[in-house]
Amino acid sequence: MKKVLSLALAALLFAGILSGCTNDGESSGGSNSQTVRVAALESAYGAEVWKEIADAFEAANPGVTVDLTVDRNLESVISSQMKVGNYPDVVHLAVGRTDALTETLTKENAIRDLTDMLEMTVPGEDVKVKDKIVPGFLDTLVTNPYSDSKTYLAPMFYGPCGLFYNAGLFKEKGWDVPTTWDEMWALGDTAKAEGISLFTYPTTGYFDAFFYALLNETGGPDFFNRAMQYEEGIWDTAEANQAFEIVAKLATYTEPTTVANANDTNFVKNQQLILDNKALFMPNGTWVVEEMKDAPRADGFEWGFTALPAVTEGGDRYSYTFFEQIWSPKQAKNPELADKFMAYLYSDEAAAIFAKAGAVQPIEGVSDMLEGDNKLFYSIYDSGAKAAMGAFATTDPVEGVSMSDALFKTVDSIVSGDKTVAQWKEAVNKANDALRAALK
Amino acid sequence: MKNRKPMSAETLYKIFIFVVLIAFAVTIIVPVGWAFLASIKQNSEFYGNPWSLPKGFHYQNFIDAFQKAKMGSYFLNSVIVTALGLAILLIVALPAAYVLARYRFRGRKILNVAFMGGLFINVNYIVVPIFLMLVDVDSLFGRSILVNNLFVVGLIYASTALPFTIYLLSSYFATLPKDYEEAAYVDGSGYFRTMVQIIMPMAKPSIITVILFNFLSFWNEYIISMTLLTEDSLKTLPVGLMNLMKAQNAAMEYGQMYAGLVIVMLPTLILYIMVQKKLTQGMTVGGIKG
Amino acid sequence: MDKQKGRGRFVALCVAPAAILFIIFMVIPTLQVFWYSLFKWGGYSAEGKVFVGLQNFQKLLSDAKFLKSFQNTVLLIVLVTIITLAFALVFAGILTREKIKGQNFFRVIFYIPNILSVVVISAIFNAIYDPKQGLLNSIIGLFTNIKDNPILWLGNQKLVVFSIAGAMVWQAIGYYMVMYMASMSAVPESLYESASLEGSGRIHQFFHITIPLIWTNIRTTLTFFIISSINLSFLFVNAMTNGGPDGASEVFLSYMYQQAYTNSSYGYGMAIGVIVFLFSFGLAAIVNAVTKREPLEY
Repeated sequence: MKKVLSLALAALLFAGILSGCTNDGESSGGSNSQTVRVAALESAYGAEVWKEIADAFEAANPGVTVDLTVDRNLESVISSQMKVGNYPDVVHLAVGRTDALTETLTKENAIRDLTDMLEMTVPGEDVKVKDKIVPGFLDTLVTNPYSDSKTYLAPMFYGPCGLFYNAGLFKEKGWDVPTTWDEMWALGDTAKAEGISLFTYPTTGYFDAFFYALLNETGGPDFFNRAMQYEEGIWDTAEANQAFEIVAKLATYTEPTTVANANDTNFVKNQQLILDNKALFMPNGTWVVEEMKDAPRADGFEWGFTALPAVTEGGDRYSYTFFEQIWSPKQAKNPELADKFMAYLYSDEAAAIFAKAGAVQPIEGVSDMLEGDNKLFYSIYDSGAKAAMGAFATTDPVEGVSMSDALFKTVDSIVSGDKTVAQWKEAVNKANDALRAALK
Repeated sequence: MKNRKPMSAETLYKIFIFVVLIAFAVTIIVPVGWAFLASIKQNSEFYGNPWSLPKGFHYQNFIDAFQKAKMGSYFLNSVIVTALGLAILLIVALPAAYVLARYRFRGRKILNVAFMGGLFINVNYIVVPIFLMLVDVDSLFGRSILVNNLFVVGLIYASTALPFTIYLLSSYFATLPKDYEEAAYVDGSGYFRTMVQIIMPMAKPSIITVILFNFLSFWNEYIISMTLLTEDSLKTLPVGLMNLMKAQNAAMEYGQMYAGLVIVMLPTLILYIMVQKKLTQGMTVGGIKG
Repeated sequence: MDKQKGRGRFVALCVAPAAILFIIFMVIPTLQVFWYSLFKWGGYSAEGKVFVGLQNFQKLLSDAKFLKSFQNTVLLIVLVTIITLAFALVFAGILTREKIKGQNFFRVIFYIPNILSVVVISAIFNAIYDPKQGLLNSIIGLFTNIKDNPILWLGNQKLVVFSIAGAMVWQAIGYYMVMYMASMSAVPESLYESASLEGSGRIHQFFHITIPLIWTNIRTTLTFFIISSINLSFLFVNAMTNGGPDGASEVFLSYMYQQAYTNSSYGYGMAIGVIVFLFSFGLAAIVNAVTKREPLEY
């Protein structure tokens, strides 16, 4: 019996060693060919598009192999690899995700300066990368997280954010899409009489784009940038106050069940409110069309999209430009090839592949590649809306303090009446002070 | 025996109890049935009333779950990891629990307290230190041996289950009368043989309980396997399921997800139905007599 | 002498593998968690790792969100334990003592929630708690009109923890019931018979025979309640509310994750891990001491 047991154990151990070995092959690439390791998040555009890009890059660069990792859960895959010191050369993973890997690496100064890449000429074209990227995208607090005006995160797929609604319903009822907040409130009262709520939101996370645009409207771009750098007392100004008051008023017009479903599991139910004509507007991004493609909808439903209404008649209207980022870790083994690969992503050839999957890059001439709904959405800036860009500046991590918790999550409490605007401001002020002290 | 007063109170009481039991049973059967029905719904049916019946038998969900979401290979990995984990656990925990419960020796008290304390360690915070430790060993060898290794994950499953398993088993061993061993020794049976041939068979219900409990926790585990198995070909079922639920700004594949849920759920249900009779006997913890 | 040596070798051989695995994969990582909790660290680069002593723990004491998660965890442990314990004991008592049709059926069915994955249970309860089409509001709607003012089981900050407790109780009853049944069935029938002859009723018997005799068993399960409530509350919260609305349903481990990853404060997250470990250990010790009774013999 003893023998049997020890034999069994030995067999198990042996099996272990075997299964360990079988997974070993790939880490050592051939020495004469070059390999660039690319990790990309599988997002709305699918995994296939990255394979196409990789193939195209290999075809254009004989002798180069792209070792591609595409995963919906990219953080869990690459963060463990990175802890082993096994860094990818290029990572396509945006800020704003729950695992906050990109933010963490930014805070830890573990991301490579991309100045050289931006100075490169786009492969096969005669323009520099930095000149091909649409102006404005390279001087935001997202792309240049430290105050050294260098770019660390390069802008990738972008899309306007704003308010989505059922254009069919507006046509049917003869309502106009409000251009000022006053018109908005008037419409809210009209809709209420018909049993329709004015507003809903998927989760409070969607208030980032909303707030960024709103702060641009109430205080202008300069004010917005100061707020993003945690300027002292900025949230006590009249401009900030106005923004708080607008959201607080909007909260009273919010569909009553919204809060109950405003989480990662149930947010689709809030989006469904728009399709069912239970609520008029929701803040969202262009991906919502794809996200809700299978959902049943009211007769005559048609997606409509608008920038935030202006605070005063004739005032500026803003739509926040959301964009994803691509970056390269400091520890990348092959930085030159990484730069080459990233530069390639901005070529017309690559952009065409991306555009086919619905992914739009902020490069000159991309608007010619747009199709379908996207044409309408991306034309928002042509029809008068201004683009807001950026996000809160990067700080050292401050334990227990998060601006997005204080500023965005609290909206749930405002809607449900658990907190007052004064309490909200107090929380934001506290976070503002704590984070300013930790500013990079 | 016609209805006399105390009898009718008795009947009422019985009926009341019966109704309560039925009610609770319904709260279990309906939702579980619901999960099964949801797995044959089409995607568009998930946006409306969650309680509506499926419009048809959309078995394509299962085909998609196996083909597109690779549930088949994940399933195999889960089977391997769970089986390895259980095998190692039983080989390691049974002798330890037996000795800890029935032998007096130096260090016994410390070991008992240590394993008891181990009950309070939560996998959620030790998973990263474990990972880093494996990585350190790997870097000694200069290649990936321990990370991305199904056997290692099974070993870690077994290790993290040790405190509870040893606790459960030794509670059971402690209830057995000493006479068995004494008789065996008198017959000239050695320690090892006594343990394997006399005591283990008596502990069968307890062992079955341990198998079921740990099967459930290994089978549904995702935190360890997500961290330690990063290669797509090695992922386990729950991790695959998590991927189905994480639709980044894309349409949720609800049908596939619920089909995946059923695929994860079925083996546990089957195993449970198979062993449920033995379960009650094996779950005596803490002893009756203290 | 030789026998002594053989015995010693046998004991060592039996205990060593378990002890070694336990030390490598449980003790050392736990010590490391204690060690990490003394650092300000994001979890990746070594250069950003700064020793800060007990500062993380100091910060925790004044972190309102952590205190909220602490409060929620304690509330859930207490609620889930009391309600589950009561139901499980009563059901176990009925199913072992009474002659009821389909006894076996009930025993088998009641255990099923325990074998389901939390994802399934959360999906089920999301459908039950849905404000408009949820089962619960539909049933309440039969009695009173709540159409314009639906109860937001997961959206009301005062209610949400109780809604989560509901799902946890539902999941746990069967597990503990089977455990209690196991020990109740060992109580000798003769005790009940003589009590009946003395004219004591069911309820009296339940409190004076059943409960005292399985007391050690109940005490043990209290420890399980503490451990599993901490763990399961995290899984449920994760799948049902993400800690929302506005952090109202945040629990220990969900807050730990949020800090360690989303807020890039790995060291701080590990400090929460240390607190979770010490708290559950301490609470179990206290409960164990408070519930100590002279064991009853029969």
